[in-house]
Amino acid sequence: MKTRYFVGLLAMLLVGLTLSQQGPFQQRVQQAINSGGSKFAETMKQDRDQALCSQYRDKLPPEEVGAFLERQRALIKYPADGKLMGDWKQGEALFTNPRKGNCYACHTGDPKEAGAGRMGPGLVGYGQRGTSEAVVKYTYDKIYNAWASMPCSLMYRAGHHGILTPEETAHVTAFLLDPASPVNAKR
Amino acid sequence: MRNRSLWIGFLLALGLGLSIALTQQQEVDPYKEAERQRELFRQTAGILPGELYAAQGEELFGQKRGSKNVSLEACDFGLGPGKLEGALTQLPRYFADTRRVEDLETRIVSCMVNLQGFKPEEIKRDDVKALTAFVASKSSEMPINVVPKTSQEIAMYNLGRELWYHRAGDRDMNCAICHDSYAGGKVRLSPVRSPRQGLSNEWPAYRFEADKLYTLQDRIAFCYESVSIHPPDHYSEPMIALSIYMLTEATKGKNKFTELPGFTR
Repeated sequence: MKTRYFVGLLAMLLVGLTLSQQGPFQQRVQQAINSGGSKFAETMKQDRDQALCSQYRDKLPPEEVGAFLERQRALIKYPADGKLMGDWKQGEALFTNPRKGNCYACHTGDPKEAGAGRMGPGLVGYGQRGTSEAVVKYTYDKIYNAWASMPCSLMYRAGHHGILTPEETAHVTAFLLDPASPVNAKR
Repeated sequence: MRNRSLWIGFLLALGLGLSIALTQQQEVDPYKEAERQRELFRQTAGILPGELYAAQGEELFGQKRGSKNVSLEACDFGLGPGKLEGALTQLPRYFADTRRVEDLETRIVSCMVNLQGFKPEEIKRDDVKALTAFVASKSSEMPINVVPKTSQEIAMYNLGRELWYHRAGDRDMNCAICHDSYAGGKVRLSPVRSPRQGLSNEWPAYRFEADKLYTLQDRIAFCYESVSIHPPDHYSEPMIALSIYMLTEATKGKNKFTELPGFTR
């Protein structure tokens, strides 16, 4: 009886320790980050899911995926007027601007754009999916928060980080889906 | 006759259109473009910018400087005092005199402080860069040979690996997601390599697009800037940790340094 009580107490103590404290290695990593200067340390701060992606080397174990996606989906915001497809011309500028979407770093889009990156899937002709409500929403959500459909993807969470506002996200959505956009020009 | 000239005109227009279409489709190969730029420098200046930096570094290296008025010729880069041949191939490594793991740039600063008597705040970044170019030139095209052995080196490698996977910033980036998961791809025109494929084997290098010499630390800083993370200070632990991580992996991939200083975009 006494032993059982003791084992239970020990187990609780262990669980408490692991939950409350960073391990010594994580403390050492933080110390190294701090040694890089205060601005570096500030921008290296992680939110919960960035830390999770780092911990699992960008490949989440299956049991983490569901909750991760749910947390990320909850972060998506929509334009006040509810229109998820805006003006493709404004979308083109946002898609191109390295300080905004910077999408050409990794994707093709307008086939005339020289030197588009090849990290992500090519987007020439993306609009052949049509503009059903489901396609528009999927596209908007992907641009606003890529981690809501693909945990730890290379593609960053443009809307969540405020690089694109909901209205701007709708413009980029239009650049990809609008039949008049050069992305979808007949070739 | 009239018909014939019309035909020729038509064919000419077609050819012109085709060639425009072809040049638009053709993408510049960044390696070939660097090679072309390098040749142009050779032809017009007779010397490469990287070689100029190295020559500048050589002069600084031999000069008696600092409060102790000595040259850097007694500086030990890990192979013994004054031994420069292949010194970069085994850096970063642990140094007993400073009791820390140092890369080439940090080691130069240590020698300027401890040997020459400079105060750390007196040391000019441009001097360190030129000296780095000079010492690195003595390891041109040699096999990389960074194998963490001491507990300090292994700890630094582990720190570097952790930073490599650390996702942060508004662009949700880390090094690995591009340089491992998508190695072989291109960001815009830039080919992306993994450490095992020899990433880090061309630094210090002259970047003709920036018209500047970049050391490995400068290149790491540029990487962080481009993913909107403020870069770590020069000579700080994150710089040394990432360097030892990448160069250890490059060693596992049996990579050599390129011509040093390198010449790249």
